[in-house]
Order: sequence, then C-alpha cells, then structure tokens
Amino acid sequence: MVVLERIGVYFQTVFHLASDPINIAILFGSVMLGIMFGAMPGLTSTLGVALLTALTYGMDTATAMVCLLAIYVGGTYGGSYASILINIPGTAASAATALDGYPLACKGEGGRAIGLTTTSSAIGTIISMLFLVSISPLISFFALQFTSFEFFLLAFFGILISGTLTSPDLVIKGWIAGFLGLFLACVGRDMLQFYPRFTFGISELDSGVEVVPVLIGAFGIPQIIQVLKERFQIGETQKFQRILPEFGTIIRNIPRIVRSALIGVGIGSVPGIGEDIAAWVSYGAAKNTAKHPERFGKGEIKAVLATEVANNACVGGAMIPLLNLGIPGSPPAAMLLGALMLHGVTPGPMITFEHPTFITEVAAILLLASCTMWVVGMLMAKQVVKVLRIPTQIFMPIIGVLCIIGSYALGLNIFNLYLMLPVGIISYFLIEMGYPIAPLVIGVILGPMADENLRRALMVSQGSFLPIFTRPVALILLLTILWTVFSQVPYFKKRKNQLVDKIRRRKPVKIKMDPEEG
Amino acid sequence: MMEKEKLRKADIYSGAIIFLFGVWITSQALKMPMKDSWGGVQNVWYVSPALFPLFVGSMITLLGAFLFRTALKLVGVQEFVKTLRWLTSKTLFQFLNSLPNLRFYAIVTLFLSFVYLYIPRIDFFLCAALFLVVFITSFYFDDATILKQLFLFYLAGTLAFLIFFVSGLKSLLGKTLPFAHDILTIVFIVVYCVYAWQLVRQHATLRKKYRTAMIVAFIAPFVVGMIFKYFLLVPMPSEGLIVTFLDYLWYLEF
Repeated sequence: MVVLERIGVYFQTVFHLASDPINIAILFGSVMLGIMFGAMPGLTSTLGVALLTALTYGMDTATAMVCLLAIYVGGTYGGSYASILINIPGTAASAATALDGYPLACKGEGGRAIGLTTTSSAIGTIISMLFLVSISPLISFFALQFTSFEFFLLAFFGILISGTLTSPDLVIKGWIAGFLGLFLACVGRDMLQFYPRFTFGISELDSGVEVVPVLIGAFGIPQIIQVLKERFQIGETQKFQRILPEFGTIIRNIPRIVRSALIGVGIGSVPGIGEDIAAWVSYGAAKNTAKHPERFGKGEIKAVLATEVANNACVGGAMIPLLNLGIPGSPPAAMLLGALMLHGVTPGPMITFEHPTFITEVAAILLLASCTMWVVGMLMAKQVVKVLRIPTQIFMPIIGVLCIIGSYALGLNIFNLYLMLPVGIISYFLIEMGYPIAPLVIGVILGPMADENLRRALMVSQGSFLPIFTRPVALILLLTILWTVFSQVPYFKKRKNQLVDKIRRRKPVKIKMDPEEG
Repeated sequence: MMEKEKLRKADIYSGAIIFLFGVWITSQALKMPMKDSWGGVQNVWYVSPALFPLFVGSMITLLGAFLFRTALKLVGVQEFVKTLRWLTSKTLFQFLNSLPNLRFYAIVTLFLSFVYLYIPRIDFFLCAALFLVVFITSFYFDDATILKQLFLFYLAGTLAFLIFFVSGLKSLLGKTLPFAHDILTIVFIVVYCVYAWQLVRQHATLRKKYRTAMIVAFIAPFVVGMIFKYFLLVPMPSEGLIVTFLDYLWYLEF
C-alpha cells in the first residue's frame, strides 16, 4: 500500500509540475541553457548550476529545483555535442564520448550519434531517477540511526574518497585540497561557543565563508583564466543530417544500458565523484565485455551508448547521498546543496520528516527534465550546435561578469566578491599544480557538519572515542577510511600487490594439480 | 596542468607552502580557548573551538610535509638545486615575460581592478561595460602586440582612477559635478574605444571583430544588469548615473 501511495504521489507531482505553463517554460529554458553550457567547451554544468542559483533566489523551492535540475541534466547531456562534432569534450563527463562519437561524425553518422546520445542520456536519467525513489527511503531509514560520530566519519570519508578519486596527479593532493576546504569551513564564529576563528577582526567573516561565492570562484574563475590564457579555439564542427531517436539500437542494447546505468548510479552516489569517472568506468566495462573490443575508438556505437547512459545516470545517483545524507555526490550536486540551503531546505535524514514529498518532487523533476532534454535534443540540436561557433574570447568575459554578479546577488554583499576572486585565483594555481578542486568544495560544504558532529559526539561521550569502536556503522566507516588512506601508502600498496601476486600464482598451480590428482 | 616532471618540482614548493600554512593554522588554533573560560563557559578540550582547526591544521602540516618529502625524493636534491638556480637566473624573467603569462596578468589585473576598484565605486552598468570592452578587445583580436598596447593603456587608466579615488578627488569633484566618477568612466571607455580603433583600423578582419566586440560589450551588461535589477529586484553593488537614468525610465513607463 505504501508503495502504491508513493507511486500515486509521484505521478500526481509529475502532473502538477507539468500542468503549470511557467514550469514548462522554465524547464525548456533551463534545459536549453544547460545544453549550451555543456556544449561550449570551457563551460561546465557545475558552473551553469552555480550561476543559475543566483537567478533562482526569488523563486519558490519547487520552481528553483525545476530550474537547477534541468540545467544539471541538460549540461551533462550537452557535453556530447562538442565531443561528437568537434572532438573536444564540452564537459569532462563527455570526454569518453569523444573517443567514438567523433569518428562516427567523421563517417557522416553524426546525426545518428547525437540521436543515440539523446535517447541514451534520457534513459540514463530516468533509470537513475527510479533508483533515487526506491533506494532513498532505505538509506534514510539507516541514516536515522546515525549519531554524531557517524556523521563526522561520513563527512570525513566523503572528503577523503573525493580526494582519492578526483586527483589527476598524486592522491595526497586530493586530500590536501579537501583539508584546505575544511580550513575554509573553520573560518567564522564557531556554532557551539561563538568564538571567532580566523576572522582577523573582519566582521564580514564572523558568519563564516559563504559557500556559493567560493563555489563560483573555484569553478568559474580558473575556467576563464585557463581558456583565455591557453588561447583555446573551437575547431570546425562536423556536419550532420537528420537526428533519429535510434530506438532499435536502444532495444538491442538493453543489457548494456542497464549495466551502464548501474555504474552511473553507483559512482554518482559515492560522495564527490562526478559524471566523468562514471563515463570512463562504463566505457571500460563496455570495452572489456564487447565481442569486438578492437572497434572501440574507431566509431563504436555501443561505446557512445555506454558513456552517455552512465554520465546521465550519475545525476540521479548523486542525488541519493545529497538528499538523504546531506553529502553531495558530484560537484554540480555540491552546487545544488548550496542552492537548497539558500531555499531553506536542509538535506539529510530529516528531509523525509521536514519535507515529506521533496524526494518525490526531485524524482518527478528529473523525469520531466529528461523528457524535455529528449525533445530539445531531437528537435533543436541543429540550432543548439550554433553556439559552438561563438568564440571563447567573447563568451568567457560575459561568464566573468555573471560570476561576479551571481556571487554578489546571493547575499547582496560586496564582501562575497572580495572572497570569490582570491579563491578563484588560488584555485587556478592549485589546478595548474595538479590539485583537484572538487574535494576543496566538498570540504567547504561538509566542514561545518564534520566540526559540529565531532564536538557534539565527544560532548555526549564525555570526551571518549570508544563509541566509534562499539557502534557497527561507525566502525565500518572508520575501517573504510583507514583502508582508503593505507591503500595509498607505498608500503601497504607493495604488500597488497605482493599478496595479489601470490594469490594469482597459486591459482594455476591448483588447476594443474587437479587432473593429476583425479 | 603542468607536465609530470615540472609538476614534481612544483610539488616541492607547494608542499613546503602547504606545510607552513598547516603550521600557521595549528599555531593559531593553539591560541584558541582549550581549557580556559570563554563567554562565561568553562571549556573542556572536546568542546573547544580549537579542536577542529587543530585537527585540520595538523593534517595539512602532515600532508604538506609528506608531499614535500615525496617530491624531493623523486626529483632529487641536485635537480632541486638546479630549480633554485633557475629562480635566480635570467630565464625566470623570460618565462615571466612570455605571452601566456602576459595573458594571465591581463586577466587577473582586469578581474582585480573590476572587483576591488570599480564595482564598489562606479555604476555597475558602466564598470561592467568597461570590463567587457577591455576584456573582449584584448583577447578577441588575438594579437600579442595589440594585447600589450591595450593592456598598458587600461593599466594607465586604472592607475589614474586609483589616484582619483585615493587622493579624495572623488568627493571634491562630486560636490560640484554629480556622478563625476561615472562621467569620468564614460570618458575612459570612449577614449579606450577610440584607441582600440586606432590600433585595428588598418586590418579588415580586426575591424569586423572590433564591431562585434563593441556590440557584445555594450549589450551584455544591460541584458544581465536589467534581469538582476528589475526582474530579480537585486540592487546593484553601486548605483550611479546609468541606474538613476534606467530607474527613471523604468518607473516612468511601468
């Protein structure tokens, strides 16, 4: 009965949202904007969500979510346009798509590839939405059993895993970025005793570092500097004919779609890891299980399908920890968290009590956004592709103005700008030196949660760390954290490899021995 | 991102900076009340506001030291000494003077002057137009010589504005002429546009680019600004001549 009731509420929400012409207009506008942001190399869906957050300031929560989720879904999908047509990934999420998408476009099958990415992206989002609705109550139920120690460890784990998996260079750099984010979260008066920490007597810092200007600075400014400094030029776009939905190909590849969607949802739900990793893992899985792996990289349609399903499935996957635990699953989800807080919604285990229909609403928006994305992709791809002709030197300065007015508009505070710019410039240097930015941002967001919960937990236990070892979830989290850390230490890595080699060497011996014994 | 070899060398410096930063955080955290009384509350270590910064500071110190050690081990002391020598040689000057770095200085200077000098003092529409005019023309022409000339021209103008604001001329002039600083900005934009035109008028392709740059640079601030000011009802950071004029038109008509 509960399930039926949930399905009823879900469809009721879908129809309620779809019956409002304003919502539909916002949905189409945001998806289009998202596709443009995704398609333009140098702009990302994270930046799109960040900039649009400022515009949703005056909207009610539901409309704001329509706007932000639509740009997120559109942005993740839009990256495939540039990947397929100019061989430059519009976003990191679509880098894997370029490997086979561009050769397809060169063969004159660009329209087919775009049609397929459109349909598979929509399917990926819808499957992830189903996971969001079905898994959320379960996670929420478990999360309600969490105490402060678990929340501290969860936040700490989120930062560590994000640092481990997103670091383009040494893993340690990812962890450093995460701790730098935690330091930024320490700035301001502490919530328990109101003691000013690292404020240097500046009254504007008393309330702490605002999340949104930091996010806009960290994602927007380095992007502008990189693109203009390196004189990034967009190449000639490949021509393409009619775009078809490719339902036949989709039906023939249902098992691959399900596998890619599962990869997308799974990776999306790990804190801090984005669509790019999901796409690469899915590409790898598709290649490893393919009958003709040699065709990969030369215009294999299955590869395009696998990457696009996975990166869009990541959207719903990222929503699972965001809504149920308050921990963002990907960088755009981190932006969404900031936006939700701005609208008075605090994601976490209590969300089902404070806003009982919120998760259903998010799922309904995801469904509508993916349908809209499909319609826009099928009908307006040729028009959208025209944005690829806009020179980067023209749109990057405009993005700069948007970053500035967006950071200011959220708190109507010029100090936000004074903060956003140094964060942006420092982030640029960090990126240049191989530090990932996602853990820094996750650190800023999860810092207050980690700080408060650590002290609250110790207050309850009177300064004892024993509950970590007596509570099963806390112990599992601690062991996972220790595993994450020690698996990167060279000594343990060496020992682990030796152990794996030993096991591998033993296996064939056993196989050889068996017939003799028999 | 840099190449692997360069990256390891840079890691030595970034590791050292991060280590020192971590030490600073820890030292600052140690000054926070641990067991003392704060606001009438007797502290215990586990509720102290220093607890989390201490944890973060010591982790940053540890990780910074580890990065420094790893990088130094991989690069080798001799290579590190070579890098130190490079830092004091003429090649450093050549590197700093390279075109990508010049582009970097131009971008950063534009942002710094826009955020710290113009936005708090000059009408948003005007300073956004100035920012876009300079930004787009400097980079869209895609010519190193023009970029240098335009950047130096902008730098001179910005210095003049800095003196204007710091010396108190703004308030002095403001008494006799309303919106004096906004009018000066308009003059600066016009002079800059004329100067840019002088530089590109000989080249047909650049002339076309100039026209596009001007259209975008003047339309974009109005589109963005109007959305925020009149549809989202966000007051601009600084409202002067143009906002007053737009307010007059907007409230007269609607």
